[in-house]
Amino acid sequence: MTTKLKSFDASRYSIFIILALVFVGASFLSPNFLSVDNQLNVLRQVAVITILAYGAMTLIIGGMIDLSAGAVMAFAGVSSVMVYKDTQSLLLAVLVGIAVGVACNLVNAFLVATLHTPAFIVTLGMMLMARGAVLELTQGQNVLQLGDFVIIGQGTWGWAPVPALVLLLITAVIWYLMNQTRYGRGVYAVGGNEEAARAAGIAVAWVKYKAFVVNGVLVGIAGVIFMSRVNAGLPNAGVGYELQAITAPIIGGTSFSGGVGTTAGTLAGALIVGLLGNIMNLTGVGSYIQQIVMGLIIVTAVAYDVWSKRGRTRTTILRSGRRGEPAAAGADPGATADPPASGT
Amino acid sequence: MKTPTRRTFTAGLAAAAVAVGLAGCGGVTVGNPGSDDTAERTQKDSYRVAYIARAQVDSFAAWLANEMKDEAKDYDDISLQVFDGQADDEVENKMIENAVANKFDAIIIQANNGAAQQPYIQQAVDAGIVTITTNPRVDGIEGANSVDANPYDQGGVVAKLALEQVPQNAKVVVLNGPGGNFHSTQRRKAWEAEFFEKRPDVEIVAEDIANWNKDEALTLMEDWSLANPQIDAIISMNDNMAAGALEAVKGKSAFDGILAYGVDGTPEATLMIQKGEMTATALQNAAELAQLNMKAVHDLLTGAEDEVNVDIGNPLITKDNAQKYVDLYKKAGLITQ
Repeated sequence: MTTKLKSFDASRYSIFIILALVFVGASFLSPNFLSVDNQLNVLRQVAVITILAYGAMTLIIGGMIDLSAGAVMAFAGVSSVMVYKDTQSLLLAVLVGIAVGVACNLVNAFLVATLHTPAFIVTLGMMLMARGAVLELTQGQNVLQLGDFVIIGQGTWGWAPVPALVLLLITAVIWYLMNQTRYGRGVYAVGGNEEAARAAGIAVAWVKYKAFVVNGVLVGIAGVIFMSRVNAGLPNAGVGYELQAITAPIIGGTSFSGGVGTTAGTLAGALIVGLLGNIMNLTGVGSYIQQIVMGLIIVTAVAYDVWSKRGRTRTTILRSGRRGEPAAAGADPGATADPPASGT
Repeated sequence: MKTPTRRTFTAGLAAAAVAVGLAGCGGVTVGNPGSDDTAERTQKDSYRVAYIARAQVDSFAAWLANEMKDEAKDYDDISLQVFDGQADDEVENKMIENAVANKFDAIIIQANNGAAQQPYIQQAVDAGIVTITTNPRVDGIEGANSVDANPYDQGGVVAKLALEQVPQNAKVVVLNGPGGNFHSTQRRKAWEAEFFEKRPDVEIVAEDIANWNKDEALTLMEDWSLANPQIDAIISMNDNMAAGALEAVKGKSAFDGILAYGVDGTPEATLMIQKGEMTATALQNAAELAQLNMKAVHDLLTGAEDEVNVDIGNPLITKDNAQKYVDLYKKAGLITQ
């Protein structure tokens, strides 16, 4: 451990190195890429997916998953739009969007944490229910003429786009929750080893409820921003967003087996995807090629990240000369990279 | 305050779950052998008609499904059941198989992919069931009927207008529907033949697929408008994408007066045209499609017609006549104020 701290551990920062490489590479490919307008544009574009990604990250670290995020986002966003149209109250509309997100996730939490139903199945069911509910609510039609509701998705505060500011605020809150609170440590512990967490006195079910509530708040906010950005209540919005939301944390080093992941890594993962999409649009790369390039880069980035951490594990074993302890700690790539995980 | 809100939404979700479940039960009856009765149709007091919609999440398909349900109410002898193909060939094919197995008197199919559904539509025809393909028409099936809009004409009527409106040496962007989609490719062909081949001075600075979606078009246009400081027109294969692209340049002075063309004549596009934000679209009237479908199915079932293949019109909507269509949508409850 002491030996490790003495040298710069590049593998711990591999995802940020990849992000930097994408950024530098993109800056050579298009003269418009580095402009302030474009950077703000990218932040605006990645806001919704990154907010959803933080929710997905929280659940994956806790050993769960949410396949309903896209559909619940649409349900929450459209509900918010409808309330705004009826009341003209932006605050109430936002609160209703969040309430819908939380309500759907409380149902998920009850089925997962209390009834011990697999999250994969529960959230798959919620995906169908939420999509059905929003289609029934709107009869499949877009809700139009949103008026000042668009401020949330299209407005600026000074020069900064509101969605980007919301994203920064949420990033700080999620980082704090995951790294500085008992709740965060509980999520890491439950995802890392549920039985051990229970034996250690952690209220596992309560932690899962809280993780779903956090996810619900984030999905609700994402829904409000999405609808405001497109200036319509779209009941068909968010199809496939659950997978995009999962992609960012996985690229950012979150382990599907739970217990491992960081807020910064998820942000980096979302930015890599966002920057790639942006530079390909700026340079006129067609959508078929974009899919190939995106897939290749995602697989390469994750493979490199895993490979570099495996290298570190081997190095740690060799340096320590004691196989048992370090091997157990390093068996899960990235486990030692996360202070809260190691803290639990 | 918290409890009632939660209760309301939970109750809503439960109701939706029941609705989804019931819909599923209606569509999935298996094990019945398909009828091979190809004899002449016998007159009945009532007819069971299945309408297999492409996808209820597609706003146009949902509008058409709603219009079909409304129109069916005008026929005392028709009982219409609507099924959701979920934009999935496999699901849509199963729905057709189930409708054949359930011995519906007629099946109206809004294909997700004509080629993928063709053998299953053929099965329905071979089983002696009145079969209509609609929006889009599926060609090459002997004995099937069709009610459709002509997507080439829809694109063409807007392209001809753009021929006069798009300035010399203009730079334009083009937004397409999903790859391989019949309506998208036909509309794009019309733009090529009726506009781009006649206007070699016009340059396409960017073109891509936005899958009919407003949010995807918004993201593309945000990026394109940074890479191309001059864009004179948005040429979109549907209205949703045109509206999304316009959202991206809203408030940017460099793009004041940008022209935008779509197809479908959605309520949103009609309002935007009325306000002068969008230039023109061709109406694909779901109400008219539904009227013709129900008339066709009734005529075929009662023996008034042996074969029906009809197209609806493609009226052009511009600022001059937008009010008429806004009023139409207000009457239909699709525009609420």
